[in-house]
Amino acid sequence: MGVPYVPVLGLVGTDLLRRRDDMVVAPDPFGDGKLTVVAKSMRPDVAVFHAHKADRQGNVSFGYPVDAVILAEASRYVIVTAEELVDRLDEREALGTFLPSILVDAVVHAPFGAHPGGLTNRYAPDKSAMADYVAAARSDSEFNAYLQRVVFDVDSHEEYCTRFVPQYARSADHVS
Amino acid sequence: MQPIDAPDYNDDELLVVLMAREVRDNEVSACGALSHLPAAGLLLAKELHAPSAELIILNTVFRPFQTSRQFHFLAQRGELGLFFVSGVQIDRHGNYNLHQLGADPDRPAVRFPGGYGGGMLYYAARRNIVFRTEHTRRSLVERVDFISAAGSSPQNVVRLGGPTKLITPKATFAFDQTARCLRLESIHPPYALDEIRDNTGFDLGVDAPVPATRAPSAEELSVLRREVRRKMIDTGTYANWAERALGVL
Repeated sequence: MGVPYVPVLGLVGTDLLRRRDDMVVAPDPFGDGKLTVVAKSMRPDVAVFHAHKADRQGNVSFGYPVDAVILAEASRYVIVTAEELVDRLDEREALGTFLPSILVDAVVHAPFGAHPGGLTNRYAPDKSAMADYVAAARSDSEFNAYLQRVVFDVDSHEEYCTRFVPQYARSADHVS
Repeated sequence: MQPIDAPDYNDDELLVVLMAREVRDNEVSACGALSHLPAAGLLLAKELHAPSAELIILNTVFRPFQTSRQFHFLAQRGELGLFFVSGVQIDRHGNYNLHQLGADPDRPAVRFPGGYGGGMLYYAARRNIVFRTEHTRRSLVERVDFISAAGSSPQNVVRLGGPTKLITPKATFAFDQTARCLRLESIHPPYALDEIRDNTGFDLGVDAPVPATRAPSAEELSVLRREVRRKMIDTGTYANWAERALGVL
């Protein structure tokens, strides 16, 4: 959306409002002055999405319905990683949510880019890798070691897939 | 062999039946994610008395829109007739807490996911049924530690609806719109008033005898255990729970 603020009916009188400075109570300037919440817009510097398919102009077919358009509209810079890159993607052949190229700044080919999470209609979450993540998240030191192993010590996306994504090793596309 | 006066339904089934009775035909009724009991209640109502009810069960196939933006504005427009919500704590004033426990808000003893959505829907849905699977003094309190949504608002606040009932495995409370507080409405058999009083952390607001809740009927239970159970399993709507809990005493 990217508008300066949005009125919201509700939330008045909650402790949530006491603890946040991005939502205030304000009178309706057009009506009888009754109160609603006015929420400050979020303007993220960067938004990153992972989708089924994207083309080289930045048109994106998510492959399932998702609240991506509103986030892309609000963000200053939008990066889309995709399972598949094609030369030209028409809105009519998009599945699920379509994100037009005017909202997208960069596309990246990243098969299994949602790993260890799943991608709706493509692959399920990697439960064993998720369990590793959860176990590592219990302490800072374990989590730092986890990051070192799966992020910092990995040189490329291909290396990550080869080492950590069981389905990637089995997938015929990548076997020469 | 069950004792002779033991109910022929479990707590989950009782709550589902009581929730189903709150659903009106031709209205839009909804529940959030992680809400297997109201989900079953919505589906049961549609099988029984509300065939034209429009159901919204978030994160399932029963979701007549694509994005949560659409759900947000549907509620903001006032098109949501009924919403089911729960809280860790619920107080006499109809406030509920889904955020945190502890007297000091800066150092909570426990944090919960919280939620913006419920705090908005509590004001936008015409009727909100609050439910709680635990009827104890720690869950039903005089004053919640943190107000995630307020039971009532001053006249100068834009508000389309609010809480109308609280349902637990032991009793049903009605929200008194004039006094702006919950009052004990009926007690589920086989519980007695003393038991409700002992397990509720606020004044029940009653002095006259309190009626017994109408127990689930044979028809309600049979449709729940057959048609609704089948539908939940077939559509992947809390299928594991449906298989495990419905019809199992």
